[in-house]
Amino acid sequence: MKTIIRLAVCIAIMIQSQAYGQSGSMVKIEGGEFIPLYGTETAVKINDFYMDVYPVTNAEFLEFVKKNPRWKRSEVKRLFADESYLKDWINDEAFPSDRSPNAPVTNVSWYAAKNYCECEGKRLATVDEWEYVGMANEKQPDAREEENYNKYILSWYETPKTYKNEIGSTFRNYWGVYDMHGLVWEWTSDFNSVMIGGESRKDSTGDNNLFCGAAAVGATDLMNYAAFMRYAFRGSMKAKYSSKNLGFRCVEDVEKKAL
Amino acid sequence: MKKYLLFMLSPFLFLSCDQPGEEKGQIEDSEKVVATHTVDFNKELPDLSVYHLPSTWTTQDNKDIQLEDLRGNVLVMVMIYTSCKAACPRLIADMRNIEKQVPEEYLGKTKFIMVSIDPETDTPQMLNSFAKENLMEDDHWMFLRGTPEDTREFAAVLAVSYKKISPIDFSHSNIISVFNEEGVLVHQQEGLGVDNTETVEAIKAEVSN
Amino acid sequence: MKNFKTSKKRFVYLFFLAALVAGVLTSCEKAVAAKENPELMKVYGESEAEMTAPPMVPRPVGKRAATKLIVNMEVVEKEMEMADGVTYNYWTFDGSVPGSFIRTRVGDEIEFHFKNHPDSKLPHNIDLHAVTGPGGGAESSYVAPGQQATFTFKTMNPGLYVYHCATAPVGMHIANGMYGLILVEPEGGLPPVDREYYVMQGDFYTEGEFGERGLQPFDMNKAVDEDADYVVFNGKVGGLTGENALHAKVGETVRLYVGNGGPNLVSSFHVIGEIFDKVYVEGGSTINENVQTTLIPAGGAAIVEFKVDVPGELVLVDHSIFRAFNKGALGILEVEGAENEKVFGGKISEGVYNPGTSVTGIVEEVEDSAPVAEMSMADKMERGKQVYTQSCLACHQATGAGIPNAFPPLANSDYLNADVHRSIEVVKFGLSGEIEVNGNVYNSAMPPQNISDEDVAAVLTYVYNNWGNNKTEVTQEMVKKVK
Repeated sequence: MKTIIRLAVCIAIMIQSQAYGQSGSMVKIEGGEFIPLYGTETAVKINDFYMDVYPVTNAEFLEFVKKNPRWKRSEVKRLFADESYLKDWINDEAFPSDRSPNAPVTNVSWYAAKNYCECEGKRLATVDEWEYVGMANEKQPDAREEENYNKYILSWYETPKTYKNEIGSTFRNYWGVYDMHGLVWEWTSDFNSVMIGGESRKDSTGDNNLFCGAAAVGATDLMNYAAFMRYAFRGSMKAKYSSKNLGFRCVEDVEKKAL
Repeated sequence: MKKYLLFMLSPFLFLSCDQPGEEKGQIEDSEKVVATHTVDFNKELPDLSVYHLPSTWTTQDNKDIQLEDLRGNVLVMVMIYTSCKAACPRLIADMRNIEKQVPEEYLGKTKFIMVSIDPETDTPQMLNSFAKENLMEDDHWMFLRGTPEDTREFAAVLAVSYKKISPIDFSHSNIISVFNEEGVLVHQQEGLGVDNTETVEAIKAEVSN
Repeated sequence: MKNFKTSKKRFVYLFFLAALVAGVLTSCEKAVAAKENPELMKVYGESEAEMTAPPMVPRPVGKRAATKLIVNMEVVEKEMEMADGVTYNYWTFDGSVPGSFIRTRVGDEIEFHFKNHPDSKLPHNIDLHAVTGPGGGAESSYVAPGQQATFTFKTMNPGLYVYHCATAPVGMHIANGMYGLILVEPEGGLPPVDREYYVMQGDFYTEGEFGERGLQPFDMNKAVDEDADYVVFNGKVGGLTGENALHAKVGETVRLYVGNGGPNLVSSFHVIGEIFDKVYVEGGSTINENVQTTLIPAGGAAIVEFKVDVPGELVLVDHSIFRAFNKGALGILEVEGAENEKVFGGKISEGVYNPGTSVTGIVEEVEDSAPVAEMSMADKMERGKQVYTQSCLACHQATGAGIPNAFPPLANSDYLNADVHRSIEVVKFGLSGEIEVNGNVYNSAMPPQNISDEDVAAVLTYVYNNWGNNKTEVTQEMVKKVK
């Protein structure tokens, strides 16, 4: 019932959603099992789902803001977005001239990203879903052990201002999804499932009074720095924060798509 | 047919989506849950009020409430799950310790709320028996469960992290949060068995405000 | 009974003594509490900390009382020069490597405002070794890009301390330059000196080898293997040479605040041509005197002091010496002023030493008669520059100016221009013993450069066609002939 309401809330926009941007293009991700770097020592089951081929762009988000004034920079409630929300925009309805309409939108809060997806009849991916798709390179669904794959990601961490690049400027992965690595970070629905605090050295012992249970990082996988830093980034975020290097894309459940 | 129905509903709901803070319809209906209060409900909610979250929650008495129904109370909130064996009993103890230090005359305006991070297991019945077992049956104790999605969102507001790490267990941060009568977060204490003087002071200050 | 009297006497005596001791002790304890327990020290007023980029340090605290000190620091991820033609994406505290020098005194209440620039890709934090408390502030300062956090602490122990980023993966954050020094001066300040400088060593791991041009990404595997490509002072090759050299005048006392950020290597810090009069061992309160080389652990520091008595160039090195000459750990302190022959007389005589028999074996070389293709002049110049950067630059410097008294200049060099065959010989087989270049006498050793004839030709052509030399083109044929 709840989801139906949420869908209904945004249905007015949904009708027009095909009219702008590339939001229509999704690809099917075949589910499976994998052991993510963080959070569990057993395999996680991923169901089939659809994922946006590209992150949401500046142009697309501008349309969304126009239709949902409560997400305008001047009107957004501070509970849902802090001062850095759309900070670089010239005003409520214009992104800066040095940003391409086709570059990924960044400086959006988790609430805004989540609501955007809801208004498309979609949702944000879970961390596990995102990581499942993110472990693919051009050829393989799981390239986590490939040296070049990891090097590619690590080198992105050190490349400045990639948020100015257009969507589709990085590689198309095994699933047909672009820009999982090399463009921007992406919000996930349960980004706040990461128990990495500021004290990374203590976290890895699992003996942490701030957290119940031991979601410590498996020492065996510590070499997988490329993935680890995504978790560290998620762990540093709060839902109302936004960041210049952080965008998002949406996913959709298979049953819902069939509806 | 279903779709048509939604279309017809949408104008109203769209409005509510637009301005969740303005909607007051529910307040009168759920008077029982709300303690006596002195808040002016016609006043617009502060930007940072948690009552901007338009979600429905179920109590241990199987009543559905909106968060905003709690407006006018000082809220002391913690996120737990009832089958938790590690930190949660200690968090519950921490909550009880705080409650003991709040003067009795303040309790009418204070709600101590446990929000479940495991709504699948924590049915209203489960919450109810948990409340009984823990002798938390007075009016100022409240247990809530919501949809997994709303729970995740609520945790985001509290900056609480949690993750299911096995079929029965979650790891989660141990944070107790205090909200003022308008639903604005005013204080948080982090960790287990930490000094709660400031938390108690924050509650007293808000209630007597 | 008989002994009663004596024992009573003794008892009284003991009692008296005990009372005396106790009295002394309590009064002593009181004094200690008032003077030395920093926790109880009152703070007076509030001020913003002066922050300086290396090699400078803020003004000494002097006699000032403990105060509330506001420290503002910003994390910036940015591309900077690692060596000539080599750049690197550094992660920095305040935009420099090492980060800003923080100067406090014991008992100060520090209010630390820690900011992460919105352009940053990653969350960062700071662990200050001067902090008594969990993680050295790491947890309290953990900030996402575009966020800031404020935390406070009291400086309890005087000393020189390292600070660094402790966000996972910690090693990578440190390897990218996230470290610096915080000094906690004792009450009344450190004794005044004439000059103070801030020097910090660090090791870097790049995908390309030392000197390989272009933007070099971080190499995690090398870092794990502790196989450093660069070991440098103040963040880059030449961080303390050329225009970045330190200065002092004869007769002055110089104090260096030396830290080692690591992430991996321990520094054998030495200043060629000086003896440390004082070393505050490991940055703490123990003072050692008359020290030649002091060990600075990764994540540690030392304060060294010396009076400079004679003019010349003092060379700061990590005396794990290949790091100095092949990986960049070399700095210069130029001392100006009058000669003092009482302290250093210089050379007073020289002559041939010939014990008569040669101990060197004669190695017969196999002639390589395969014809070789000669590179074009343009190719030679380009290749030559690369070879120069890799093999020559550390000593002879990017401008060919060399380092006075240590490495002869290649620019406008009479020695070089006089005899090209001799130059080839030097590059191929090395050179030791005294030579005179442009009127100055040098006496050091250059090892044979283990490079191909082609590269010898290229690098010499590059040298001869630069910096005012006589534009000789050296061919592989010429190189081959020199044996």
